[in-house]
Amino acid sequence: MAKRRKSKGDNLVLRYLVLGSWALFCLVPIVWFLSIGFRPRTEIITPTPIYWPTFSLDAWRLLLADWPIFDYLRNSVLAVTGSVVIDLILGIPAAYSLTRYEYRGRDDIGFYILSTRMMAPAIVAIPIFFLFRNLGLLDSVFALMLIYAAVNLSIVVWIIRSYMLDIPKELEDAARTDGAGDLRILWEIIIPACLPGIITASVIAAIFAINEFLFTLLIASTKNAYTMSVALANFTGGSDGVIYNAIALVSFLAFLPILVLIVLIQKHLSRGLTMGAVKG
Amino acid sequence: MARIELKDVVKRYGGFTGVRRMDLDIADEEFLVLLGPSGCGKTTTMRMIAGLEVPSEGEVVIGGEVVNEVDARDRDVAMVFQGYALYPNMSIYENIRFPLRMRGIPKADQDRLIRRAAEMVELGDFLDRKPGALSGGQRQRAALARAVVRQPQVFLMDEPLSNLDAKLRSSMRVQIKHLQRQLKITTVYVTHDQIEAMTLADRIVIMEKGAIRQIGTPDEIYSDPADTFVAGFIGAPPMNLVEGLAENGRFAAPGLVVACPGGVSGRVTLGVRPEDCHVVGEGLAALEGRVYGVEPTGETTYLTLRTGETLFEVKAARDARFNLGDLVRIGFDPDRLCYFDTETGARLRVQPYRSVA
Amino acid sequence: MAAIDQTGGAAQAAPDRARPREKTLRRRSPALRRAFPYLLVAPAVIYLLGITLYPGAYAVYQSFYLVRFTEWIPVGFDNYVELAGDAEFWQAMLNTLLIGGIALTVECVIAMALAFFAYRDALIRGWRIAFLMPMLFMPSAVAFIWKLAFNDGRVISDLLRKLGLIEGNLDFLGNIWLARTTLIVADVWQWTPFLFIIFVAALQSQDQEVEEAARLDGASWPAIFWNISLPMIRPVIAVAVVLRGIDIMTMFTNVFILTKGTPGGMTETISYFIYRQGFQTFNFGYASAAAVVMLVITILAAQLVVKRAFKSGKT
Ligand SMILES: Nc1ncnc2c1ncn2[C@@H]1O[C@H](COP(=O)(O)OP(=O)(O)O)[C@@H](O)[C@H]1O
Ligand SMILES: [Mg+2]
Repeated sequence: MAKRRKSKGDNLVLRYLVLGSWALFCLVPIVWFLSIGFRPRTEIITPTPIYWPTFSLDAWRLLLADWPIFDYLRNSVLAVTGSVVIDLILGIPAAYSLTRYEYRGRDDIGFYILSTRMMAPAIVAIPIFFLFRNLGLLDSVFALMLIYAAVNLSIVVWIIRSYMLDIPKELEDAARTDGAGDLRILWEIIIPACLPGIITASVIAAIFAINEFLFTLLIASTKNAYTMSVALANFTGGSDGVIYNAIALVSFLAFLPILVLIVLIQKHLSRGLTMGAVKG
Repeated sequence: MARIELKDVVKRYGGFTGVRRMDLDIADEEFLVLLGPSGCGKTTTMRMIAGLEVPSEGEVVIGGEVVNEVDARDRDVAMVFQGYALYPNMSIYENIRFPLRMRGIPKADQDRLIRRAAEMVELGDFLDRKPGALSGGQRQRAALARAVVRQPQVFLMDEPLSNLDAKLRSSMRVQIKHLQRQLKITTVYVTHDQIEAMTLADRIVIMEKGAIRQIGTPDEIYSDPADTFVAGFIGAPPMNLVEGLAENGRFAAPGLVVACPGGVSGRVTLGVRPEDCHVVGEGLAALEGRVYGVEPTGETTYLTLRTGETLFEVKAARDARFNLGDLVRIGFDPDRLCYFDTETGARLRVQPYRSVA
Repeated sequence: MAAIDQTGGAAQAAPDRARPREKTLRRRSPALRRAFPYLLVAPAVIYLLGITLYPGAYAVYQSFYLVRFTEWIPVGFDNYVELAGDAEFWQAMLNTLLIGGIALTVECVIAMALAFFAYRDALIRGWRIAFLMPMLFMPSAVAFIWKLAFNDGRVISDLLRKLGLIEGNLDFLGNIWLARTTLIVADVWQWTPFLFIIFVAALQSQDQEVEEAARLDGASWPAIFWNISLPMIRPVIAVAVVLRGIDIMTMFTNVFILTKGTPGGMTETISYFIYRQGFQTFNFGYASAAAVVMLVITILAAQLVVKRAFKSGKT
C-alpha cells in the first residue's frame, strides 16, 4: 500500500473524495426519506422545506387506520413467492436442457428465452389485460403470480444455466454409469451442485417481482391484489395530495427484506444481475 | 466380469471423425490400457464402452450382448474419471453408496459393502467427510471405492492418476493393479503416460488420430514396434529414428553406416533404442558424432550426439562424462535394430522378432 | 459373475452380491432419447410464448381495428397511418431516446469512474453495500423520493437557493429540460449502482498479473485502466449496458409518478404513450399499433445488439 500511494495517478485523497461524495449522494436521500416516515404531514409539504424533523407517529396511525397495509403486504408476499416457485419449476429443467444436451435449435431456444427479457411490459400490456379479463383473473393475486413468473423466467433460466455450465460434465457421467436416470441426476446431482445459482436466481427474480409496476397497475384495482409497489401510488388523500410519510414507511417495509436478500447473495450479485455473463 | 468387443466402431462428431474403425477384443479379466497422445480418441472409445457416447457405426458388445442402445446406467460398468467426479454435496459415504442406491441394493447390505470398499482403498476413516475436505490422493481413492463397491462387470478408468503428483501416482498404480487382480474385473484404462501403460497393462493399445497403431503386450510394444509412430512414442527417451538408404546389405545415413539384412533396401528408416547403443573404440563404430548434450540422471547418463543434421540419443554408463563437442563412436546391438519403410512408416519384417525374455 | 472373493472361494454367499439378482437391460428408444431435452425445455418455452407470441399476435391483430368498448371495427392500416402522422408519437420516440440516451451515458461514465477508483480498494469492498442502497428501493418509491425532492417539497430549489444559484423556486414540471432532468436524476440515482457493481466485479475478476506486468513496464494506473483493464472487460460492459439500455428505453414508472408526461408531452416515453392511449383514452387499437412498432424495434435490437453482446459475454 505504501508504495502504491506514491504511484502516479493514484491519488488517495481524490479517490476517497469521489467515492465519498457518491456514497453521500446515495445515502442522504434515503436517510432523509426515512425521516419523512416519522414526521407529521404538516411538516412535509411546506412553502420552504423544514429540515429539522419533529418526531411523530402520524404515518403509522394513518397507515394502520386508513389503509389495508397488511393486505398489500400479503399480496406482495404471495405473488412474489408464488412467481418464484413457478419460475423454478419451469426454469430449472429448461436450464438443464440448455446446458446438458446437444440438440438442433438449442441455441435458438436459449436466445428466444433470453430475448423475452427485452420485451417491454407496455408492448404486451393491453393483450395481457384483455387475456386476464377474459379469464376472470383481473384483480387477483394469482394473475400477478403468473405475470411475474413470466416476466422473470428468462432471468431465472439464464442465471441457473450459467451456474450449471460450471458443473463438470464428468459429474453427470459418473452418476449415469452409477445407474442414475436423467431426472434423478438433475434432482440429486445437478440441483445440489448449482444451489448458489438457484438461490441467486430466486432472489433476483423476487426483487424484480416486488418492484413490478406496470402490469400490477393494470391488473390490480383493489386491496385484493394491490401490492406494495403499486399501493404507494394510491397514497393520495384526495385534496390532501400525496401522503408522503405513509409512502416513506411502506417503502422501508419493502426495502428491508430486499436488503436482507441482497446481503444474502452479495457474492453472486453481479453474476445474477448480468444473467450469468460476469463471474465476479 | 465380461469380455468386451468393439466391432468396427466409428465415432463421428459432425464432419470430424473422433474414432475410426476400431476393432478390439478385450478378454475377460484382462487389464487393457489405451495409450496415445491427447486428442487421439482414447476417451471417446472409453465413453462408447460406458454408454455415455453412442457409436456412429459398428457394435459394442459386452458379455456377449450388443449394448449399443443400452443406457449407461444399465451396462453395469463403473468408471473412474480424471477429475474424480465425486458428488460435492454428498459425504464420501454417500458417494460410495450412490451406485448401490441407484441399483436398489437392499439397505441391509449397503453399509457392509460400503465399508468393505472403503477398507480396500484404506479410506475407512474418512467416510464422513465431504470430497472438498480430502486431498487429491484421498479423492482418487474415494472414486475408486465408488467404482469397486458394486462389483461391476467392467472397470473403466480415464486418466485416473493424471492429477496426482509423481510419488502418489506410483503408489496408486500399485494399488490399482492389486485391486484389479484381486477383483478379476475386466478393466480398460486410459492414459497418455507410457510408464503407467507399461506397468499396468496386460495388453496395450497404441492409438493415434482415432486409429489403432498397435496392440500388444508391453514387451511387444516396446521391443517390436509396428511402425515409426509407436517407436517414437514409446520409451523415454524414445527410439532413435534415422532416415537413410539401404542397399546390398548396408544401411547408410550421414555419419552412420551399419550392416542390415539383405531384404531391406531402398529408402528406409533405421530405429535404435538408446540402450541398444554402446560407446566403442575406433573401427567398431557404426556411428560417429559429436557430443551435443550430456544428461546425467543418476542411474545412467544420456548423451545426445549430433551426426550430420540429426540428433541421436545414447544411453551411456552412469559415470560416463564427456565434454560438448567430443567425438564419440557408437556401436549397435545388431539384433535389436528395427527397419521401417520411410514412406509409410510401417515396419519392415525381415528378421524374426526376438523376445527380450 | 462371481462376487468379490477375498477369502479364497468360500464366500460365494448371496449377500456378497452387490447387484440385484435379475438383470434386464433397458433399451431406451432413440426417439425418446432425442425428444427428452425438448420435453425439458418445452414448458418454459410454451409459458413464455404465452406472454410474447400470443400478446404480440393479439397486438398485431388489434392494431387493425378501432376498438370501442366491446365493438371492434376493422380499419385496415388506418391506425398505422395515423400513427405515422402523430406528432405526439414521434415526440414520445424522441423523448425516449433523449432521456434514455442521456441517462445511460451519465450512468456509464459515473459508474466507470467510480469503478476505477474502487476496484483495487479493500476498504471500499467492505462498504460496497452503501453504494447499492438506491437499487434496493422499489422504483415506485424512488420516484416518490424525487417527486418530493424536486416538486412537492421544493427541496432541490431550496438547496440551489441556499447556494446562491437561483432565486425563488424552480418549477420542475413547467420547463421541458427541468422536467426531463428530474427523470434523468431519478434514473441515474437508482441505477448507476447496477453498472457500478458489475464493472467492479468484472475488473476484479481480471487476471491481476496482466496489470502487474504493465506496472512493471512503467505504466500509470489511469493508463493501465484505459489501455488494458477496460478493453479486457469490454464484453461484460456490453452486456451490462445492453441490459440497462433495455430497461431505460422502456421507462414507465418514473414518468407515471413523477411527470405524467408534462409539460406538454415533452417527457412522455413510448411506454407511457402506449399506456395513455390504451388505458386513459381507451383507444386500444391505436395503442396496439404503437406497441407493434415498439415490438418491431425490440426484435431488431434483440437480433442486432443483444445477441451479439451475450455471445461475446458468454463464457
Ligand atoms: N463432443 C465432442 N464434439 C466434437 N469433438 C469431440 C467431442 N469429444 C471429443 N471430440 C474430439 O475427438 C477427438 C478425440 O477426443 P478424446 O477421445 O477426448 O481424446 P483423448 O481422450 O485421447 O485425449 C479430439 O480431437 C476431440 O476434440
Ligand atoms: Mg481424454
